[in-house]
Amino acid sequence: MSAVQEALPAIKGSRDATVRRFALTDTIFHAATRAAAILVLVLLGGVAISLFAGSWQALSTFGFSFLTTESWNPVTEKFGALAPIYGTIITSAVAILIAVPLGIGIAIFLTELCPRPLRRPIGMAVELLAGIPSIIYGIWGLFVLAPFLQTTVQPYIIWLFHGVPGLNNLFAGPPYGIGLLTSAMILAIMILPFITSITKDVFDTVPSVLKESAYGIGCTTWEVTRRVVIPYTRIGIMGGVMLALGRALGETMAVTFVIGNAHRISTSLFAPATTISATIANEFTEAVGDLYTSSLVALGLILFVITFLILAIARYMLMRIDARTGA
Amino acid sequence: MKPMLSTELNTPEAVVDKAKIEVKNLNFYYGQSKALKDISLSLPERSVTAFIGPSGCGKSTLLRVFNRIYELYPKQSAEGQVLLDGHNILDRSQDLNLLRTKIGMVFQKPTPFPMSIYENIAFGVRLYEKISKSEMDGRVEQALKRAALWTEVKDKLNASGLSLSGGQQQRLCIARTVAVKPEVILLDEPASALDPLSTAKIEELIDELQADYTIVIVTHNMQQAARVSRQTAFMYLGELVEFDRTEKIFTSPREKRTQDYITGRFG
Repeated sequence: MSAVQEALPAIKGSRDATVRRFALTDTIFHAATRAAAILVLVLLGGVAISLFAGSWQALSTFGFSFLTTESWNPVTEKFGALAPIYGTIITSAVAILIAVPLGIGIAIFLTELCPRPLRRPIGMAVELLAGIPSIIYGIWGLFVLAPFLQTTVQPYIIWLFHGVPGLNNLFAGPPYGIGLLTSAMILAIMILPFITSITKDVFDTVPSVLKESAYGIGCTTWEVTRRVVIPYTRIGIMGGVMLALGRALGETMAVTFVIGNAHRISTSLFAPATTISATIANEFTEAVGDLYTSSLVALGLILFVITFLILAIARYMLMRIDARTGA
Repeated sequence: MKPMLSTELNTPEAVVDKAKIEVKNLNFYYGQSKALKDISLSLPERSVTAFIGPSGCGKSTLLRVFNRIYELYPKQSAEGQVLLDGHNILDRSQDLNLLRTKIGMVFQKPTPFPMSIYENIAFGVRLYEKISKSEMDGRVEQALKRAALWTEVKDKLNASGLSLSGGQQQRLCIARTVAVKPEVILLDEPASALDPLSTAKIEELIDELQADYTIVIVTHNMQQAARVSRQTAFMYLGELVEFDRTEKIFTSPREKRTQDYITGRFG
């Protein structure tokens, strides 16, 4: 027997031990990562269940009318969510109306037109907007933007649209400064970075040869953007807008500062109103009585459902563009 | 063997037709690196000219100078003269969009626009002409017939251009280019991403189109150059090595480097 053959059983023994050790660490690793992943589902489920449980009292007391009642009266304990829902949707929708053209415009400028040396500074400035804490937007909105709107912009707009059917209702009433429009403007600034960076990223997925062939038949930059780049990336842009909308719906601090916190529904964008998150933030400390608390939790549940739906739609749209560019 | 690279000698003797494009002492730069070195040649009207050569020899770069598409990218620049019907298109005052309606381009990969088959063609036409719906229908049909695609798509003009096969998409791109009524058509390896059958169709098409258009084709496929072109330019490392009638290039080239390339000794 040679030395090599004598050594064989020893090697085999140590190899088996190594394999067993590997199998064990692998199992532990597997279990640990799976547990971490499941934790997310448990948390999500937990939040949903506790929202349901917490809002049960309000929902069973008021039933479906909780969604359709405007009054919010802690004294008589009559609560309806319509005003905050209205405020939330209107502020977010107007914010989207302001931010989408701006964001797409910035993205077009950065990807198609911007001279190279300017590209990074502007891109970074937009990203930095996303880094400003919302409380800063709030105090800026309250102390700087709102007084400015109140003294200059709003009186002018009210005067301008006075007597124009439709618009005179939309821009009516005393110029408070704070209100739906001010909140929407603050929200628009806050979601601008999201829309810009997602739009910029999907614009970059357009193959350069596709743009070249559009330029190649004599298109101007505007025509290439309008007829080729935007149609090609439509779904991705929609996804980005939805993500931004999800963010705008839930934004609390900045909106709470400038919305005015009035539980009423007004057709005027200058009127003070409230949103779901602003109502919860403002009233949780003073909510005495189970029904009051429960109603606030029910508001949270409604926001949860709205945001969840919006984000699900956004994810679905982004998934579709990924599948197409990956193909 | 004497190098013969002056403009006069680079005009094939057999070609007596009027020159559509004349290139004079053209240099091209990607940043600092020089990609085209003092190119001079003259492309006759209504015929097919092929550019051949190994990868990186500058043949696509030369093609991209003709419609100034390179200007989409910073740091790319051209010096010298490119005369289209006697007018220097490298001149600052040249309107780019107008130039590109005169000089159409088809790329290596099919690039249908994200719209219907009909719109893919009507889009380019509408940019510069205001015509009625029925005239437009006629133009679209004519362009699709020209590109030998009409019978395959006439029942689904509203389907997305992306729903066609690769070969059909490429013919759609040719139809789109033809519809704008250009004078010159640039083809950048138009068949390299296609199967042999589609390639044959494209080559047939090129053959038909040369009756009306000046065609320039860049190709890696030497048989293709031999089949479709009337004159061939062989380029190597940014230089124009030899430019002559296609039969001459492929049977009795003047330069040893041309001979080595077409016989497959390098490249």
